[in-house]
Amino acid sequence: MRAIVIDDERLARKELINLLNQLETVEVVGEAVNVEDAKDKIEQLQPDVIFLDIQMPEKTGFDLLEELDQVPHVIFTTAYDEYALKAFQVNALDYLLKPIEPKRLEEAIQKLQGKIEGISRSSEGGSLANQKKLTLEDQVFVKDGDRCWFVRLSNVRLFESDGNYIKVYFDNFKPMIHKSLNALDERLDEKSFFRASRKHIINLGWVEAIEPWFNGGLVVTLRGGDRIEVSRRQAARFKEMMSL
Amino acid sequence: MNRVKLYWILQLLGWGSFAFVNVFFASLSEGISPIQAWAFVALAAYYLLSTHAFRHLVKAFGWFKLGIFRLLIQAILALLALAVVNVLAQILINIAFGTLNPGLDFRSLVIAVNLFVSFLYYAFWFLLYFLFHFLDNYNNSLKYEAKINEIRLNHLKSQLNPHFIFNALNSVRALVDEDPNKAKTAITRISNMLRFSLMMDKKQVIDFADELATVKDYLALESIRFEERLEVIYQVEEEAFAYKIPPMMLQTIVENAIKHGISNLVKGGLIEIKCREGLQEELYIQVKNSGYLNPNPSKNRKDGGGHGIENTRQRLKLLYGDQATFRIFNSGNQFVITEIKIPKQRVTLD
Repeated sequence: MRAIVIDDERLARKELINLLNQLETVEVVGEAVNVEDAKDKIEQLQPDVIFLDIQMPEKTGFDLLEELDQVPHVIFTTAYDEYALKAFQVNALDYLLKPIEPKRLEEAIQKLQGKIEGISRSSEGGSLANQKKLTLEDQVFVKDGDRCWFVRLSNVRLFESDGNYIKVYFDNFKPMIHKSLNALDERLDEKSFFRASRKHIINLGWVEAIEPWFNGGLVVTLRGGDRIEVSRRQAARFKEMMSL
Repeated sequence: MNRVKLYWILQLLGWGSFAFVNVFFASLSEGISPIQAWAFVALAAYYLLSTHAFRHLVKAFGWFKLGIFRLLIQAILALLALAVVNVLAQILINIAFGTLNPGLDFRSLVIAVNLFVSFLYYAFWFLLYFLFHFLDNYNNSLKYEAKINEIRLNHLKSQLNPHFIFNALNSVRALVDEDPNKAKTAITRISNMLRFSLMMDKKQVIDFADELATVKDYLALESIRFEERLEVIYQVEEEAFAYKIPPMMLQTIVENAIKHGISNLVKGGLIEIKCREGLQEELYIQVKNSGYLNPNPSKNRKDGGGHGIENTRQRLKLLYGDQATFRIFNSGNQFVITEIKIPKQRVTLD
């Protein structure tokens, strides 16, 4: 797998790259010294995994993830950061503590390898036409206060706009991300996600029931009980899409 | 709730229900006239007044501080005395209300029973009073312990900055291949710092030279991490070495300069340490670092710098009273200056 190492300290990068070079399955294709640099390199090199330091000047590792549209697999690296560690442990994100133990690194890589293979198997045969769009298999990084998640889009049942923010509904959580619903709509695969109205985008895979509503609109019930109104204009499109 | 208020509420409730229960049962068994009822109320009032007076006595003579044996003896004697006076008061009340029945009330058995019952009442009151105080004290001392422990813990944390230690060790790991000699020096420096922070916590002040040596070790280690992003300048007058300063104080200031200044700048910056003697036998220590101090730090930052600053201020105040000062301010848009003034003589002693 192809990796990029992101850390503001040269020696820290060197140390990690040394360790990674000893592993056969990993090829370090680049390194970045801050968030802006990392954004360019990720776009350019399309790595499978990034090793990401949290504390960097001006923008942190979390900021980077929030700015990326498409997040590769991430393994966090940190020397000691109580709050970050808590967030990782709560959400079972993978992280390495510096100085990094070679055995721990190897385990993390193995775990990741398994994960990547699992995904490529399940998405085999999926069309490549929509490569630029986010599919159900893609994951997005969501941070809300102390907590953060990598959410697979197939688990997100609903996006709801709220001022300048979007509420992301998954499991029992609905954290906010700073984005406009229009921008998000353009990024999402239209086969999987449907713009129900000005306020909502729904995941079609979660639709449980559809009922007619006033003025030729529709009401869609999602698994879990959320009821979302589909505006009249969108209802026509919805029927068109859902019919054979 | 206010403790005095609580005391009065409990007193009124307690003796009020005493009167009520007595009237109630008396009326059940043989019927009761309004005058007899008022006699019971008067008795309850007497109990209230006498226990209140007793409380004064207990407080005035510091019974809470007595040993258990002495306390027991004094308590039993006092309770007996209270009971005797109470029996006399009962007779007086009965006379006043015209409810005295000489044939019955002066029989020795009745007097003995009255004595015993009032003794029990007083003992019960005393027990509750003491129990309340005991639990309250216990609670307070627990709170105090917790506070002390919290302070100690914060102190300990501020001594050993784990983020720094682990980052330094990580750099050293990389250095082992790249520059073994530099790696060796770095290990010695880390050891010095650890030893220093383990030993200093017992002392209130230490030699300026010791503190400066630690700061130099620290900045040398950070220079390994930040490489060309950190430039350090020292301007230390000879006279400064005659002073004693609180341990880890300059160190904390420099650590903050790194944490909030240098490490937030992509291009890095400068740290300048100036130490000079003032005109009236005082030491000025000034740390200037690249960066900008937000005059209105947001409250929700968990690692807010305010804690370290407040801590330093409190330490200076405790050691030197008003003779020491602490200032932190922006110098232009590029630099932040932290300055402490320390007198040669301390106000407080060990």
